[in-house]
Order: sequence, then structure tokens, then C-alpha cells
Amino acid sequence: MSMIIIGLSLGMLLFLLASGLTLIFGMLGVINFAHGALYMLGAYVAFDISRRTGSFTLGLVVATLVTAATGFAMERLALRPLYARPHFYQLILTFGFILVITEAVKFTWGLGYKETPMPDALAGTIVLFGSTIPVYRLFVIIFGAVVSIALFLALERSTFGMKVRAASSDAEMVQILGLRAASIRNAVFGLGAGLAGLAGAIAAPLFPIELGMATTVIIDCFIVVILGGLGNIRGVVAAAILIGMVRAVGYTFAPSWVDVLTFSLLIATLMTRPQGLFSRPVRSA
Amino acid sequence: MSARRFDLAIAVLIGATVIALPFATQNDFFLNLALLVMIWSIFALGFDLVFGSIGMVSFGHASFLGMGGYIVAIFTQRYGWSFEASTMAAMAAASLLAWIFSFFALRVSGIFFSLVTLALSQLLYILADSKLRELTGGADGIAGVTRPQLFGVDFFTTQAFYWYVVVLFTIVVACVAMLRASPFGRVMQGVAQNEIRTEQLGYDVHGIKQITFLVSGGISGLASALLASLLMFVNPQMLHWTTSGDVIIMTLLGGAGTLWGPVGGVILFELLKEWLSGQTQYWYGVLGVVFILATIYFPKGFLGEARRLATRAQRRKP
Repeated sequence: MSMIIIGLSLGMLLFLLASGLTLIFGMLGVINFAHGALYMLGAYVAFDISRRTGSFTLGLVVATLVTAATGFAMERLALRPLYARPHFYQLILTFGFILVITEAVKFTWGLGYKETPMPDALAGTIVLFGSTIPVYRLFVIIFGAVVSIALFLALERSTFGMKVRAASSDAEMVQILGLRAASIRNAVFGLGAGLAGLAGAIAAPLFPIELGMATTVIIDCFIVVILGGLGNIRGVVAAAILIGMVRAVGYTFAPSWVDVLTFSLLIATLMTRPQGLFSRPVRSA
Repeated sequence: MSARRFDLAIAVLIGATVIALPFATQNDFFLNLALLVMIWSIFALGFDLVFGSIGMVSFGHASFLGMGGYIVAIFTQRYGWSFEASTMAAMAAASLLAWIFSFFALRVSGIFFSLVTLALSQLLYILADSKLRELTGGADGIAGVTRPQLFGVDFFTTQAFYWYVVVLFTIVVACVAMLRASPFGRVMQGVAQNEIRTEQLGYDVHGIKQITFLVSGGISGLASALLASLLMFVNPQMLHWTTSGDVIIMTLLGGAGTLWGPVGGVILFELLKEWLSGQTQYWYGVLGVVFILATIYFPKGFLGEARRLATRAQRRKP
């Protein structure tokens, strides 16, 4: 039972992490290499705020806002002039942002590992179906589920989502209809970046926080997003849970081969179904 | 000034600097910097065959650098091979690895190509870092890589090793220049500009990409052998995907797809790094800002931009 809970909570964390990346790719066609750096930034901000004020919730909110603002700035100042150019310029540009964000974090918080205290209300364990489960793991699962439903509703059922989807499929037409495609793009990038920060803040009490997160976590992100199908939110949910489960089972039975296993899964998927395991052909990017 | 004369002028400038440097200074610091520049230039030239000439963004070139480095370290350390034989083995191994990479990565295109190369190289990083510890020394790497000894001459001192690298650097630049000017080089440009059209003209685009990857891997293998010898050790950081990012930064800063662009980019990168790291410990971030601004405002790189200006000035003349 505890293996399932760990797998699910890992999966939900991965989902939170990857949802922003897939959102940005699906709507803007941009692969944001700096997504991992934004995640790291979110974790550091959450750590700092919750240590200063003692409120984990406030840390969560501020982390999301700070990374969203960073995302807005990135899109407005750097990415916007690049949309007309070949795709790889955007990919490479966001690589530059990893360096900048990492150094900014180093400048602010220094090099050492940071530990974020578990919020009091979510500390401790409960007994569920006869096994002991940390409350925080359950919180991560529920939080991830809520965010995935909210994201789904926002994109598929709200007017904002309709505009976003319209802007991604035909920006010119949207412009003619009097909507500002540029602002929509900006909002989407900000939202995606905010999700990265939120994921970082949620992950903060679970793992030690350090600078290397930016470059390691982005690989996990890519694995989930590619397995799910780039730009496909539903696929990302499925892929995240799959990877979370594979990891949890792997840690139990063959801990030193978990990374190699996930990478092999990724490469096999990319070669046989680059559109992703859970993607229908129509939505493939 | 025509583009060809511009390239020639840069060649003379760089050649003169390279030859004059050991006579102008006895200071090993500058020679080491120049060595680093030449070796990374070889790597960047090899990388740019894939990136600039054919237009594929490989995020896996760190693998070829690391692969060659480890081959040289292991063969010279454990099996007592000479540096030259190990270098040959490193080039062969890096070419083979590149060929294997291309077998996987060329099945997809565009961004997916970048991601497959990234995933493959990261897999190799994990293997070297934790799985094959007995072979690779894990995170500590392997120390004590030797310097070349050719025809009974010991190239151990920085001065001597400098000339060894100068010769190889010259050969690589000449080979890349000839390759780019050859009919094959023209077809590479064709692939970069319009893949489908090139295919329809009857060229085997997939084969061309594969050969380019193989050559690029081999050149990277040479660079890696020299780098391992210069630093006298190898570690997994050479294989990490951020190393691939570094070579992309260098190439783009100088100008991708031109002969001297990658070299100029390496010079700028190393000089900026040297200067900035003396100014602030956050030099990598400042370099990131420079890189971002360059990507937005000078997509052709500073040498590419200079070349364009020089060529345009000529066209205006009646």
C-alpha cells in the first residue's frame, strides 16, 4: 500500500512539474528548457518565505507568483522577438535562462543545501488500510489531482481556454477577431512558469533543495512530457502516474537501475511513438 | 570585401596570433588559455558540422567529448597504450557512438531530435557517473592522463604540447574548410535550407546526415583526447548535457554555419569567462545574459554579423 501511495505522490509531483512545460509547448510551440530552473526558483522562494513567516501556504502563493512573474518577463522580453525564427532559437534561448536563473538563485541563497520544514498541519502519519502513510504524501496526491482537474477545466471548458486554443491554432484569425494573441501567449507562458514554481514549492518539504535541481529535474520533466505526448495535458497525467509507479516499484526491487530503466523507456517511446504513448494523432504536436 | 576574403583575413589574424603567442610570452597561463581555445575550437568545429551546416540541434555532443576522453584515459592508464594509439581509438569510438546516436535520433526530426540526443547522452552520463564505477572512477573521474610522445619527442611541457595542438588544430580547420567547400558540403547546405527539395533532387538525405554525424563525432573524439591530455584528467562533467549546452553557446556566439564562427565563439567564450570569473563569482550568469542578448540581436553570431557587414559594404560599391 505504501508503495502505491509513494508512486502516486511521485506521479502527482511529476505531473505538477510537467504540466507547465506541456502547456507552454502545446499552446506556443516552445520547449522551455528553463522550466527546471523555474521549479528550482519556486522551491527556494517557498523555503525562504516559509522559514521567515512560518506559513507554508504563504510560501506556496509567493513562489507561484514570483515564478509566474519571471515567466511573464521571459516571454515579453526575450521570446517574443523570436517567434518568427526557426524553432531551435527558442530552445537555445531558454537554455541561456537556466544559467541566469541558477546564478541569480546562487547570488540570493548561496550554495548550501536547504531544508524546508514540513508544515505542522501536514506533518505526521496516518494509518490507512493497515499501513502507515505520511500525511504530506496524501496532500501531494490530492493537490495534484485538484490542479489537474482545474487545469483541464480551464483549458477545455472556460472562455480563457477557448481563446488560448484558438490563439495556438490560428493566431492571425484570433488577431482579426479583436483578441490580442500576444497577450494570450504572454499569459500562457506566465501560467506555465507559475505551475513550475508551484511544483517546486510543493516538492520543497520532501527533498533537499540545491542548485543542481534545475538541470536534473528538467530531464524528468521531458520524460513525462514525451511519454504523455507533447502538449497533451491528459497524456501528461497518465505518463506522470506511470513514471511515478515505475519509480516506486523500481526503488523497492532494483533501486540502482531506476534511472536507466526510465531512460530506456523514454528512448524506446521516442523512436516508436514520438507523438507519445497517450496521444491521439489529432492532438499530437 | 568578399566573404572569402573576410574568411582569409580572419584566418591570417588567428594564424598569426597562434604562432606569435609562444614567442611573445613565456607565461604558461596564456598558453594554457590558447590551448583550451584551440581544443574547444576543434570540438565546436565538429559540432557545427551538425548544427550550422545541416541545421540539426544536437544536445548530445557532450557524449562524444566524454567518450573520447574516457577512452584515452582508460587506454593510456590501464593498458599502457601510447597517446597516439589511444587518440585513434578515441576518434573511432566517438565516431561509432555518433553513428549509433544517429541511428536512434535520425528517426525523428526537429525538437524531438534534440530531445533524443539529450536523452541518450544523459543515459551515458548516468552510466559513467554511477553504473560503471569500476571502469570510469565514478564522480571522481580518472586522473593522470598522459601527454603525447610522438617519434621519441616528449610533449610534456606546455610549450611543446602547444605546438602539438597547433598542428592538429590547423589540420582540423583545413579539413573542415575543404569539407564545407566540397560538393558534399554544398549538399549539406541544401539539407539545412530545404530538406525535402534536397531529397527530391535525388540525394540520400538520411545518409548525408548520418555521415555528417559520424564525421562530427570523430572530430569531437580528437578534441576530447586533447582535452583529457591538457587537463590530465577526465570526469563525468564532460558527459553532462550542460557541456552540450556550452558548445551550443560558443558556436552561436561566434556564428553557426561559417568556418570561423565556432572558433570566434570559443575565443569570445573563453575570454569572457576568464575576465568575468575574475570580476565576479557569478560569471556564468553574466555569460548567460550575454548569450541571451546575442541570441535575440545577433542570431548570426558576432563573426557572422561582421562577415555580413563586410560583404554588404562591398556590394554597395559600383
